[in-house]
Amino acid sequence: MLNRRQKMTGYLLVLPALLYMLFFVAYPIIDNLRLGFLDVSVMNVSHGEQPFVGFVNYKDLFAESVLVTSIFNTLIYTVACIVLQFIIGLAFAMLFNRPFRLAQRLRGLVMISWLLPATITAMMYKFMFGAGNIVNDVLSRLHLIRDQIDWLIAPIPAMITLIIANTWIGIPFNMMLLTTGLMTIPKDIYESASIDGANACNRFFRITLPLLRPAIYSLLVLGFIYTFKVFELVLIATHGGPVNATQMMSTYAYKLSFELFKFSHGAAAANIMFLILLFVGVIYLRMVRKEERSGL
Amino acid sequence: MRRRCPSWLLSLIGIVVTAAFLFPLYWMIITSLKPEGEIFRSPVTWVPHSFYFESYTEQLTGSSYNILNGFRNSAIIAFGSLAIATLLAIPASYGLGRFRIPGKSMLLLLFLVTQMLPSSLILTPLFIQFKHMGLIGPNYWSTILANATIGIPFSVVTLRTYFAGLPKELEESATIDGCGAIRTFLRIMLPLALPGVAVAMVFSFLFAWGDLIYGMTFISKESMRPITSGIYTFLGFQSTSWNNTMAFGTVSIIPVVLIFIFVQRYIVSGLTNGAVKG
Repeated sequence: MLNRRQKMTGYLLVLPALLYMLFFVAYPIIDNLRLGFLDVSVMNVSHGEQPFVGFVNYKDLFAESVLVTSIFNTLIYTVACIVLQFIIGLAFAMLFNRPFRLAQRLRGLVMISWLLPATITAMMYKFMFGAGNIVNDVLSRLHLIRDQIDWLIAPIPAMITLIIANTWIGIPFNMMLLTTGLMTIPKDIYESASIDGANACNRFFRITLPLLRPAIYSLLVLGFIYTFKVFELVLIATHGGPVNATQMMSTYAYKLSFELFKFSHGAAAANIMFLILLFVGVIYLRMVRKEERSGL
Repeated sequence: MRRRCPSWLLSLIGIVVTAAFLFPLYWMIITSLKPEGEIFRSPVTWVPHSFYFESYTEQLTGSSYNILNGFRNSAIIAFGSLAIATLLAIPASYGLGRFRIPGKSMLLLLFLVTQMLPSSLILTPLFIQFKHMGLIGPNYWSTILANATIGIPFSVVTLRTYFAGLPKELEESATIDGCGAIRTFLRIMLPLALPGVAVAMVFSFLFAWGDLIYGMTFISKESMRPITSGIYTFLGFQSTSWNNTMAFGTVSIIPVVLIFIFVQRYIVSGLTNGAVKG
């Protein structure tokens, strides 16, 4: 009897939060699927007939090249960011993992970039690479470039700017997860490896990286999911430009819905985004299971 | 033996790396203190020749979009979302952390997944849903409700580990002493989980404070939009007044920096708990 009451109390406690999330997140996701098959624009969004049109919205999207461009851009951007964040994040984690007095304090300071609103970060980078011109100024003083680069006006530099800005946001996250990973590696492994004559390079590739594998897996997937959803950064820094060169799936879905007021096209674009995330999520879950089974 | 770098050298490297990493922040603050003419001077000036505070004082009064107004809007939205998220997440995480309920891991996974979904994914259907509820317009409600959906799952996941980690004996001895379930929770469990609650609250606040997409889409009245939306508007102008925009940015990160200074050590644990475990 008591057990049953326990269960009931438990469920009752979870219920309000669960209902909230179902109502404001799960329902919209399902509604989005429906919306993608209807024809909803600014005319009939609040009342009036909303005709069923099947896959027409999706056909429209794929007929325009922007959708494909935005998928391509998002993937390039995401992969580049993950790789850079990981490499620099690992370097930071290893540096601040060395025993020196300021290590913890400095590691904490680095966290700030992760906590800032993305809008602010976007604004700072837009200024440094654009109007403020400090990046060009420094690069030309170091004789790394001869002519000024139009960072935000030329397609590839604009993408590079966004990748740099997002990497700046993501480094602390990678650093923290890798730091926790590094702390789980027993120190004596390194010592016995040193006695066996392993140099720093060997130790890194033979001990550090393999033992960080679980942390690296979750980083790659979480990194993918968190990077893939970029919105504010792009909207503020480049607004998808020049001419869609940095248009992402999220900004394109937003543009369709709230700048062109083609709500069902926006919903369809968001659904495609959802499918890609779902795919990555499933891969992650399978990976976690496999890892658990192999006992790591 | 491992060859060791001397500690002072490591400290020096650490300081240089951190300073270089945080340079964009320095540059934003410095730019906000420069007069318009100096911002575009070439070569750039690393320290302003004279400190110029008008970018701040000018925007404190009058003008269509002043700093105080944006700050207030962001605060209303952030505290509103924080309140909803905390009130809902505390019981939910207590239920998931301390009660044996079937399907618990499924529920946790559900919260974990919703936390990862991009806002842009549900923006359109949420807009339509709020429109039907009559919440799109000159009010904060839709934005507050939407931002709480980011704080809730994070708080549930973070707080659950706190509640689950409390010793079982505490609960038992409280029951023997005649405390009811509610009293046990309020008098004993909740106070012990306060550091976790603080982390959850801080993050719920920060998520909502940084929001742009919901505020700018759902609030129809420009003067009620959050500070981030003000920056978006500023940057949209043909000729951006950069010192003003940077002043705006500097003011908007004040809460972030304050929070950071006071609860930094909790944030690190909160981040790793909420993001990975579950």
